Amino acid sequence: MPEKRPDSEMVHGVPEVAVSSTTTMANRTGSWKYTRPVFQDMVAPCNATCAIGVDIEGTMNLVREGRLVEARELLLRENPMPATTGRICDHPCESSCNRKSFDQPVAVHSVERMLGDLALEDPLPAAVVRIRTGKAAVIGSGPAGLACAYHLVRMGYEVSVFEGDEEPGGTLRYRVPEFQLPRVVLDREIERMRALGVDIRCGVRLGRQLTWKYLERFDTVFLATGAHRSRALGVEGENLPGIQYGLDFLHEVGAGRAPEIGARVVVVGGDSVALDCARTALRLGAEVQLVFWGECEKLAADPAEVLEAEREGVEILYQTVPLAIRGSEQMAEEGAREPANTISAGISGAPTGMPMGLECIRMTLEKPDGYGGDPIPAEDGRQVLSAQTVIIAMGEEPDFDLLPLDLKHDQVRVAVDELGRTSKSAVFAGGGIVEEPHTIAHALGSGKRAAIGMDLYMRERAGEKVEAPSLAGLRYGRVGNFSITRYRGDDPVRRTGEVNEVAGVERINMAHFAPMPRRVERRMKPSDREGFEEVNLGLTQKEAVAEATRCFNCGTCNQCEMCLIFCPDVAITRREGDKKFSISYKYCKGCGVCAVECPRGAISMTREGL
Amino acid sequence: MKKVMMGNHAVSWGVKLARTEVIAAYPITPQTQVVEALSEMCSSGELAARFIKVESEHSAMAACIGASATGARAFTATSSQGLALMHEVLHWAGGGRLPIVMANVNRALAPAWNVWTDQNDSLSQRDTGWIQLYCESNQEVLDTTIQAFKLAEAVDLPVMVVLDAFYLSHTSEPVDIPDQEAVDAFLPRRVARVKMDVNDPRSFGALATPAVYMEMRLRQQEAMELARVTYDEIVEEWGGMFGRRNGAIESYHAEGAEILLVTSGTITSTSRHVVNELRARGEKVGLVKVKMFRPFPTEALRVALAGVPHVAVLDRNISPGHGGIFAEEIRSALYDLAPERRPRVHGYIVGLGGRDVTPAVIEDCLARTRAAAGAGNTPEREDLWVGVKS
Repeated sequence: MPEKRPDSEMVHGVPEVAVSSTTTMANRTGSWKYTRPVFQDMVAPCNATCAIGVDIEGTMNLVREGRLVEARELLLRENPMPATTGRICDHPCESSCNRKSFDQPVAVHSVERMLGDLALEDPLPAAVVRIRTGKAAVIGSGPAGLACAYHLVRMGYEVSVFEGDEEPGGTLRYRVPEFQLPRVVLDREIERMRALGVDIRCGVRLGRQLTWKYLERFDTVFLATGAHRSRALGVEGENLPGIQYGLDFLHEVGAGRAPEIGARVVVVGGDSVALDCARTALRLGAEVQLVFWGECEKLAADPAEVLEAEREGVEILYQTVPLAIRGSEQMAEEGAREPANTISAGISGAPTGMPMGLECIRMTLEKPDGYGGDPIPAEDGRQVLSAQTVIIAMGEEPDFDLLPLDLKHDQVRVAVDELGRTSKSAVFAGGGIVEEPHTIAHALGSGKRAAIGMDLYMRERAGEKVEAPSLAGLRYGRVGNFSITRYRGDDPVRRTGEVNEVAGVERINMAHFAPMPRRVERRMKPSDREGFEEVNLGLTQKEAVAEATRCFNCGTCNQCEMCLIFCPDVAITRREGDKKFSISYKYCKGCGVCAVECPRGAISMTREGL
Repeated sequence: MKKVMMGNHAVSWGVKLARTEVIAAYPITPQTQVVEALSEMCSSGELAARFIKVESEHSAMAACIGASATGARAFTATSSQGLALMHEVLHWAGGGRLPIVMANVNRALAPAWNVWTDQNDSLSQRDTGWIQLYCESNQEVLDTTIQAFKLAEAVDLPVMVVLDAFYLSHTSEPVDIPDQEAVDAFLPRRVARVKMDVNDPRSFGALATPAVYMEMRLRQQEAMELARVTYDEIVEEWGGMFGRRNGAIESYHAEGAEILLVTSGTITSTSRHVVNELRARGEKVGLVKVKMFRPFPTEALRVALAGVPHVAVLDRNISPGHGGIFAEEIRSALYDLAPERRPRVHGYIVGLGGRDVTPAVIEDCLARTRAAAGAGNTPEREDLWVGVKS
């Protein structure tokens, strides 16, 4: 308490300073206002762009406050595998982060990874009690299938997951290289799901060991068989021996069987599969060239990973279009240089690889000095890249052969609605076989949406009178993914007057923030990268907590007290119990200073009397 | 410790040594370096003050008012158009009895646009309730800045420290920097008698009806009267500690003078040079420097000027439609003297918009004064413009 103000001495019957003798509390300035500030928490752009539907902002705030246990509980509500996504999600949350307009976006994935890794150290949870009568089958144990099973089990259902491969994980095990996602991490996250009650049966492939007839014993089925049929390159010579397709190659490596490759490998493709094939081949001992028809920035992969591939020694030939694959005889006829000796790759030890070559042409821009213009073949741009192995990674598509005939699809995707419902009653679908980007986040998100759809379906089937929820209300913002928390209506982050609108950058008062560079994860030195050890070493816990303090907490009051400081009427006070703020409308005269000064746009002005 | 510094930095040093707590300012030529140096001192941590960036001079003064009302020691600096923009809030500081200190670098007002020195900017704020102290050298600027806080806080009135554009603001001179410890002894932390307290909210600048308003103005006037006496004491105390005394007025070679120049600001130093030359030639010419303009040192000037036949006032300012502002105030102050002891006041307008006031210009003023005296005439007009093209 400041010292009590001494009453000023009265001279000539007046005080020295023109200060009222009575308290201003008598003057109810609130009667002057025609606008009224209200605490109204909004949706942070990261939440609205997360394809999983994680409350990222809430998580960041808990981390900032050092409440790491609560933070990872909040994260695990929506995302069954944060240690995995912290490593390999393409984090659209960071692209939409308002902080990018200030310095650099918050490294959300690093914080997520730290929380996920912390959760890996926890003892396994107890099984969830089955409080629902329904039984669900999930076909495929990739991220979509696992997410669906996880959420259903947590709701109290009995769930069986059927996996065609020998081990669970789908693309996470058979597509993502181990140097990006260590298998111990994946195994532990799956183990935690199993402990909760997710029953996973491996080596059971739909159409072979598993029949549609058998599935009739379940109340509902979730199809998440993924997209793992490789697209063809469509050039002459594609049927030659020594040619492999990217997904098959990665699958073999993921299964622990080293595929046979030559000492020189050429990869053709322009996405993260192509990049991972190149880096994997490099680790198997090959010299690797990656042929990509576009410019560097067109490569559909994380730029940081492209840089890593180049640092490791992958030679990327940009703007190079493959024309044909030549066999050794043709090569000899054309007098091409004999490639180096073949190597024996990995476990098999068999000498492999037929000498062959990829004929391609380097492109250049029509107007090299000007803007625009179409790419045209460069003069002397034709070349033959010699190799023993050519890996084709031209993208993937689902395999519909094993799906029921009456399931509506367009040969590319199975048609589903917001809740993953297919044309066939009781059958839901998600992941790589539906119309969505092929990312882990979209897969986890579609599994969650289907879990909600299946919950509604099974409850209705069990005779419960189910009131359909407002699906728009389940989304973060207008286009974000569904939130389990919103579906259950039990948000542990007690928000005030929540509105489902995104707090854009225009709501942020950046005058209240100081520049602070984004923390960069440590990576293993390229020279030390041998085998499949993880390259990205992440941030320390301390660094990750510090990174979370960079979060603007867009749209959500984090009790920073700026409103309290700036209110010229001292009309804002802090409550004793929940520590949140109250506005005394008796004194608030509606000046709007609090709304302008709020660093994160959590105060809105409304018309008085409406 | 002696250091060569420009007048603007002498202000900054004074503000730093005074352990100012809040600084809010908006840059304007020729004041900019005052706050530039202060912002660096704040960011390096050598001055533990809150530096508030603002969007205008009006806001700068408003921020100082808020800070001062909570009991903090607050400072701003400005010049010319910036000071003019502050006009409304200057009254709030004066009437609110807030001991804010402001440095104003004297610069001519536009139009025509001009960044050079004259006194019309500060003199236009004569009636806002601010004490005004005009400085002659960079040393005086530093000393006065520190004294200004002591004076302001003793009488609860704001103080404007005034220095000439470029002649002081941008000219480097050796300046003796007093020890922090000595300054701390001279100027302890501010103890506000009345201050804002959010836990006991009161209305500051509250409504006063005709029944009480006049008495509040009277109290302000009494505080101004007290400031005269208090400033003399402060000058004495400072002189005792640091050996430098720059009082409200200063007489220089005034003994037996037939003509006394009256000057303020840097014209004073040029005039000292002229007086020295003329005295060497046996002419009875002296000088009175006026440092304090508000409160006006009426009594001191009466004592200094009574009985001198002719007073030549050099005004680097003009009240259009009347005359030089110092000359008019001095005429008014001397009016009550007995007619035989009342000097004749010759008012000269010089150096507007930064025009050089050289020894030749001052000698011209003296020659005109002598000519008028010889003829036994009163001046042909109240404002005599010297150094202008015919």
